[in-house]
Amino acid sequence: MMEQPVHTTLTKTSCFHCGEPFVDEIIQFQEKEFCCQGCKNVYELLNDHELGTYYTCDVNPGISPSHQNFDYLNKPAFRDKLIQFSNQEISKVSFNLPSIHCRSCLYLLENLHKLHAGIIKSQLNFGKKDLSIWFKENEISLGELASLLAKIGYEPLLSEESEGKEKKKRLSQQTQLFIKLGVAGFCAGNIMLFSFPEYLGIEDGSLKNLFGYLNLVLGSVALFYSGSDYFKNIWAHLKLKKITIEMPILLGVMVGYSRSVYEILSHTGAGYMDSVSGLLFFLLVGKWFQQKSFDFLSFERKYTSYFPLVITKIIEGIEETAPLSEIKVGDRLRIRNEEIIPADAILMKGKSNMDYSFVTGESEWVPIQSGNLIYAGGKHHGEMIEIEVKKDLQQSHLTQLWEQQAFKDPSLKMENWENFANQVGIYFTIGLITLASIVAAYWIQVDPSKWQNSVVSILVIACPCALAISYPFALGHGVRWLSKFQLYVKDIQALERMGQVDTLVFDKTGTLTLAKSEAPKSHLNRHISEQELDLLYSLSVQSTHPLSRRLCAYTQSLGPRNLVKLSEFKEIPGKGLEAKWGKIILKLGSATFLGIAFNSPQDFYSSESQLFIQIGEEPLGYWDFPWENREGVEFMLRKLQHHYDVYLVSGDKSNHATSLKDWFSEEGHMKFECSPMEKMEFIRELQAKGKKVMMVGDGLNDAGALQQAHVGIAVSDDHLHFTPASDAILQGRSLSRLPEFLQFSKKAITLIKMSFLVSLVYNAIGLSFAVQGNLSPLVAAILMPVNSISMLIIATWGMNIYGKQIKNKLKSYTVQYIAEENHILGKDIKRSLRSICSIPVFF
Amino acid sequence: MEIMYLMIFLSLLMAIGFLVAFIWFVRSGQQDDLITPGMRILNEDKKTIN
Repeated sequence: MMEQPVHTTLTKTSCFHCGEPFVDEIIQFQEKEFCCQGCKNVYELLNDHELGTYYTCDVNPGISPSHQNFDYLNKPAFRDKLIQFSNQEISKVSFNLPSIHCRSCLYLLENLHKLHAGIIKSQLNFGKKDLSIWFKENEISLGELASLLAKIGYEPLLSEESEGKEKKKRLSQQTQLFIKLGVAGFCAGNIMLFSFPEYLGIEDGSLKNLFGYLNLVLGSVALFYSGSDYFKNIWAHLKLKKITIEMPILLGVMVGYSRSVYEILSHTGAGYMDSVSGLLFFLLVGKWFQQKSFDFLSFERKYTSYFPLVITKIIEGIEETAPLSEIKVGDRLRIRNEEIIPADAILMKGKSNMDYSFVTGESEWVPIQSGNLIYAGGKHHGEMIEIEVKKDLQQSHLTQLWEQQAFKDPSLKMENWENFANQVGIYFTIGLITLASIVAAYWIQVDPSKWQNSVVSILVIACPCALAISYPFALGHGVRWLSKFQLYVKDIQALERMGQVDTLVFDKTGTLTLAKSEAPKSHLNRHISEQELDLLYSLSVQSTHPLSRRLCAYTQSLGPRNLVKLSEFKEIPGKGLEAKWGKIILKLGSATFLGIAFNSPQDFYSSESQLFIQIGEEPLGYWDFPWENREGVEFMLRKLQHHYDVYLVSGDKSNHATSLKDWFSEEGHMKFECSPMEKMEFIRELQAKGKKVMMVGDGLNDAGALQQAHVGIAVSDDHLHFTPASDAILQGRSLSRLPEFLQFSKKAITLIKMSFLVSLVYNAIGLSFAVQGNLSPLVAAILMPVNSISMLIIATWGMNIYGKQIKNKLKSYTVQYIAEENHILGKDIKRSLRSICSIPVFF
Repeated sequence: MEIMYLMIFLSLLMAIGFLVAFIWFVRSGQQDDLITPGMRILNEDKKTIN
């Protein structure tokens, strides 16, 4: 087969396997070009097993492989948790593979049996990014299976949550609801059919009775099977002495049902079975519609998902892997580069640059010498270290945050929050009962034979189903629309809360600001030669400090670099790098490290980090590597200030945020050097003043604030899988659209209120019949579905108009509109996986 | 008019048949994944790249 031309053009600049641009080297193999040995090996492996079609399904579909070892999965502790089913021969396991992104992935993963004879069958669920594998454990172990997946680029995501019991429970609930919906539809349809003689006024005694009994059976099934959740809900709320919108609905339904039972059994009429079952059907449609969920995202992450599943213990000098939960005080652990510290501990051996950005939000690394205390949640950079655990996992600095009330009791948020529908529900119920008693009192005086009839009709016809239907439909559509703009809202309640917000609190680092990818500002005394750039490249390439990484990338961007051999390389943590090239000393680092007196200029616009350079005896000046505001942030803040109280909280020092000062000019609107607890406290103080606060943050350090706030939005750039627990997850590049999103949620609430008014008109018509005591079943049977359907139409139509409005607005922005959401998401994850497992890739 | 009873009985039986089929296919998981089967159909086996 001929290769498609699009491939040949792309292979010139990017890797044939993964499509990433070439960085250091190009590996030639079979006239293809690869960015690393790993990609080449995957290609070779796939080609050997006749899986070359992988490359024709999509352009450069691959992912750079990882070499992680999953042998620990063979231990019974893990194996038993993961294996879903096992007999003598066959076992079944299900993995979450976040890097799945295109059709090629599907092709490869469902052909796994060609790669290893021990694999019998594999089945992918693309939406959930779940792969189920049936395999023979005596031929390939669980660990080998996971390693194989990692080797071809699909590293399984294993965390405490991957045990999957929660997920299964939710799935079965969805199935249940779907069946109930189907049964209700079946009953409603058939009841209407059997009611036709009644509608048409055909009088035939025997048939009429038969139809009546059939309706009775079907109606009972609809009410007691399909409507069973309503009974449970209301019972639960009655125990709490709370009135919800569901109460007047069920009251109407029950009265209508009882009346119908009486009429049918006493052969006095046809009853309202058609209206009752039809209403139940529409209510269930609404319920089903609001269950839109983003299976590939997790909104409920706990601190444990940040930690590795296994730790390396040293017992009498021998390394041993153990599950995280087995950490005890006094244990000696070995931590490798880029691993997360699982518990508060003392550094025993080695040196570390600790990145606490997850915990504190402080972006700079902290150098730590042996003997110092280190906190759980820090990410270690540097050589391998040994630590001794000082506190249990549960008592760690980091986990204390989760001991807060907001985390212990998730219903706290619900309690403090007024749901529009439920609020109305209270007045509605009271109003309805009052009206019914007045009418009853009137008819008892005037014509006692009519009072029962009129009360029943009032309760049946006035049911506030409009709210029960327009609410889930409008908000469900809202959630769906926002997901198109990369704001993934957890549920419809969260969207409603978004519409109530009046105060916004932003985190700084990672949320409003990002490390700028552009060229640094030069403050050098003279021009730097190509050779000197090679020297700086060779020096900076050896360090993992963020500034060194950026200098390294910058020198590469200026042209092809040659690696020069340097001697006596030293890295002084928190200060800089030093090495010798022949006899010439090279230094790179802070002003104090180079012994230069340096005062920050007063006119700093953006917050920057300076990197000073010295070659030989002569200091050359410095480069400014700016931290910069995310694109569109200034514009966004200006817009938001008109309608909201806007605050900034940050774990960073205040001089890192000079460029944002203009937007938070009011007294006390900026708060710096906050610990995670202080951030949470800050939100709580605002709430105490009666504010409805939305927190926008990223890392784990914002987790408390996100949980405490009325709405917590986690901003995520490339690691969609590592966001703290929140109400919504927002893609970083969509942050500037936040004003539109907030406006959208407000419009959704307005729409619900409007549709409620419309339904009141229907109710008024129905009630005008009902109070007179002559509401015929036919009028009820027409009026109620028409009411429900018009609510459905208003909600759908209105939300689509609003959604298209934002779409058009956003098109006028320069931001490229994303159609192939899934693909981009996949590529992002691809990149993030690489940054997480940025340990060099070897096979 | 006796035939009416039979017809009503038969029509109800048919409708119940469809309801049972519906419950069966929801239970068997045909609703669980609506994305992948559509993609699966596009993949066919080819031996090599070139």
